Amino acid sequence: MRLTSLLDHPFRDAYAAKFGALPGATQAWIDGLRQTARGILNTSGLPGPRVEAWKFTGLGDVVKIPFLPSSSAEDIDVREIPLGVPHIPGARRIVLVNGVLSAELSDAVNDPPGLRIGTLKHYLAREPQILKPILGGLASSGSYPMAALNTAYMSDGLVILADKNFPGSTLHIISIGAAGADPVAFHPRHIITLAAGAQLNVIETHIGLPGQSYLSNPLTEISVGENATLKRYVMVAEDNDAFHLSTAAVALAAHGTFEAFHLVVGGGKVRQEVAVAMNGAGATCRINGLYALTGKQHHDLTTVIDHAVGHGTSSQLVKGVVDGQSHGVFQGRIHVAKDAQKTDARQLHKALFLSKGPEVDCKPELEIFADDVQCAHGAATGEMDPNHLFYLMARGIDADTARAMLVSGFLEDAIATISDELVRAAFSDLVQSWLKRRAA
Amino acid sequence: MAATAKTVETVRDVEAYKYGFVTDIESDLAPKGLSEEIVRFISAKKNEPKWMLEWRLKAYRYWLTLADEEPTWAKLHFPKIDYQDSYYYAAPKQKVGPKSLDEVDPQLLETYKKLGIPLLEQQILSGVAVDAVFDSVSVATTYKKKLNELGVIFCPISEAVQKHPELVQKYLCSVVPVGDNFYVALNSAVFTDGSFVYIPKGLRCPMELSTYFRINEKNTGQFERTLIIADEGSYVSYLEGCTAPQRDENQLHAAVVELIALDNAEIKYSTVQNWYPGDKDGKGGIYNFVTKRGACRGKNSKIMWTQVETGSAITWKYPSCILQGDGSVGEFYSVAITNNHQQADTGTKMIHIGKNTRSKIISKGISAGKSSNTYRGLVRIQGKADGARNYTKCDSLLIGSTCGAHTVPYIENRSPTAQTEHEATTSKIGEDQLFYCMQRGMTQEEAVSLIVNGFCKEVLQTLPMEFAVEAQKLVGVSLEGGVG
Repeated sequence: MRLTSLLDHPFRDAYAAKFGALPGATQAWIDGLRQTARGILNTSGLPGPRVEAWKFTGLGDVVKIPFLPSSSAEDIDVREIPLGVPHIPGARRIVLVNGVLSAELSDAVNDPPGLRIGTLKHYLAREPQILKPILGGLASSGSYPMAALNTAYMSDGLVILADKNFPGSTLHIISIGAAGADPVAFHPRHIITLAAGAQLNVIETHIGLPGQSYLSNPLTEISVGENATLKRYVMVAEDNDAFHLSTAAVALAAHGTFEAFHLVVGGGKVRQEVAVAMNGAGATCRINGLYALTGKQHHDLTTVIDHAVGHGTSSQLVKGVVDGQSHGVFQGRIHVAKDAQKTDARQLHKALFLSKGPEVDCKPELEIFADDVQCAHGAATGEMDPNHLFYLMARGIDADTARAMLVSGFLEDAIATISDELVRAAFSDLVQSWLKRRAA
Repeated sequence: MAATAKTVETVRDVEAYKYGFVTDIESDLAPKGLSEEIVRFISAKKNEPKWMLEWRLKAYRYWLTLADEEPTWAKLHFPKIDYQDSYYYAAPKQKVGPKSLDEVDPQLLETYKKLGIPLLEQQILSGVAVDAVFDSVSVATTYKKKLNELGVIFCPISEAVQKHPELVQKYLCSVVPVGDNFYVALNSAVFTDGSFVYIPKGLRCPMELSTYFRINEKNTGQFERTLIIADEGSYVSYLEGCTAPQRDENQLHAAVVELIALDNAEIKYSTVQNWYPGDKDGKGGIYNFVTKRGACRGKNSKIMWTQVETGSAITWKYPSCILQGDGSVGEFYSVAITNNHQQADTGTKMIHIGKNTRSKIISKGISAGKSSNTYRGLVRIQGKADGARNYTKCDSLLIGSTCGAHTVPYIENRSPTAQTEHEATTSKIGEDQLFYCMQRGMTQEEAVSLIVNGFCKEVLQTLPMEFAVEAQKLVGVSLEGGVG
């Protein structure tokens, strides 16, 4: 069966000239990774509509745009952090412009003891031995199509390494997309590694300059050590002409915790794929999310949680509101391996229609090979309950306010799952301002 | 823990397949393999009109273009099927069609007796009309006269092609197009027989219509074709059940069932499937690739599928409803039990097109041994299906730690006023439940059977009385070796 018809993706020619200039090109191992990735791209291309995992998110429009490789931040004149980036008190801001670190916009502070933050370029040039066992280890080019694209053309990104028992810090990574005259594509590659017992909060804000068309294809490889805790909060408010196709591959060691929240309020076409391998016993994984879509926005949250060993707990709550002609997608697969007894896996997706015209597609999937487990998933879509509306209006609240209250209440449920208070407050504000914008 | 281990053990040693015997009747065999000649041969054997032959050839030619497009998306693993290594036509040797039971080969009747189908008794006592399909050719039809008086047409589809070509031409392939999938194209080219039912306007068919299918000839692919039309305001309940003799070689079964319900009509289609599942090492067993689909064409029409799937080595089956008429209703109740090396990938599709259409899906999957059991379903609500409603519940029960239970639902909603709900759970038989039953003097097998039957109750109680008893027995037998 043909998997795709999107063989001739436009990146190929545009990038061919740049291969030699990509960081680490002189090192055989990294060049090998890139060549494998290019080989996969050349034979299978980007996923077409017949690739099961991409059934609801077509890339037909992406391949039609002649994206140019974004070379460096210096080409683009971004002087300040755009409005709309949430303020997280106490968080250290690290700003990337088209996937390249902007020292000028980032907070100038030294790394606290036990935490090292550097660029991929730096590590490839100076300390490749640190990256060699990590890079491509969690997200191989063969396993995710976007990983192949990223690996083939990655030029920079962030490497964040937390030492054993690092007591905790909050990083706010602000990724700004800026195209200029021609549409650009960038493929940042991030590594986050937490040694045993380390704690870290990472907030990612993906935002774009207005009216610009770009493709952001970040890939993050995350490794959480024994008893370590990583909280990763991702906010996507890309421009409406922008494409955001991100992949995160996470490995959890015994009793490790990974908490994620994905808030999507912007972007033309957004797909976030999160794959978590629960490799250690007693690990905990929470992936929650919220999407609020208008116009012709498309959002796809795809999660794969692999309970490889027993006594793991995973929970997912994803809520969405859709308006205009938007399209919301949630695909969640829970895999419980043969010996993963005492697994507790839960998943719930709910979507609320705010008008006639949107589409919501949902595919919650359970694959279970162990008998002593508790697994449940639920999915529901529908419109606002007229009885609820009536209840509020009967108490003197006008229809618009009542509707806004109900939508807000529906969404706050998801926000409440964020355990970090400051982030919860900031994300709640973002949702409220989305509601205000919609009402205006 | 000891109790669990014991349950697993008992489940593993499944009792020898109860209905495993071969009736020795000479068969009228076409040569092995599939070609245009074979298609022509089958058509000629059936004395078919030219349009039917053309239709078959068209399907065959289309099938050829699908050569490499056998569906692979299901969670099923089996060796590639050599379609040229199978017989496509086998008919029990009988020169003239039987006019009454007396003319029927006594050996055939013996077979039915072993299966526990009291054909003669039914005729006298129960009021169930049986159109028994034995290796692709209908050999006995009862109650034809009474049904005739009411205007009900219930006959082999080959007969309908001769006698009611206008109905066949109008409705055949109107729900499942020839090009729908690989197996439908194959079936359309080589189907040998099946049932045809037409219920006239306003008639509530007073008896359950029933067909027992049975694969008998060694190495024959069985390609059944069923077409049921319920005209305005009518009601029919149709029963289908299958058992098959024990065999070493895998047998292919690719049936197509089409249901059409017009305004205010209701069709209830119940299946108990108990084909030979293969032995406990996974050798042999039927490959069951079935396409079943119903169209609720008319306003307030209703189609209800109930299936109890206990047999077959491979089950690939998705009885679906296309809810076109405003206010139409589709329901799907399923119990799928897999044991040993059985693999089942089954579920439904509910396509909501009309306004205020409703659908309900209740699926119970039970896996034991080394089996794999998948629910795969689609609920699609189109933009104009205002006020559509869907409720889906999928429960899986795992017995032992070497089996798999999977749930793959697709929910696609384009209508803001529609509501969809899906929930799924997975669990095992609790130690405390077993203990409670056994403490009261039940054996472990009885306890497991009781618990499993309770787990499936919601589905089993939708079966007609005639079937409910057999189904309950089957639930027990399938997990047997002791259990149940």
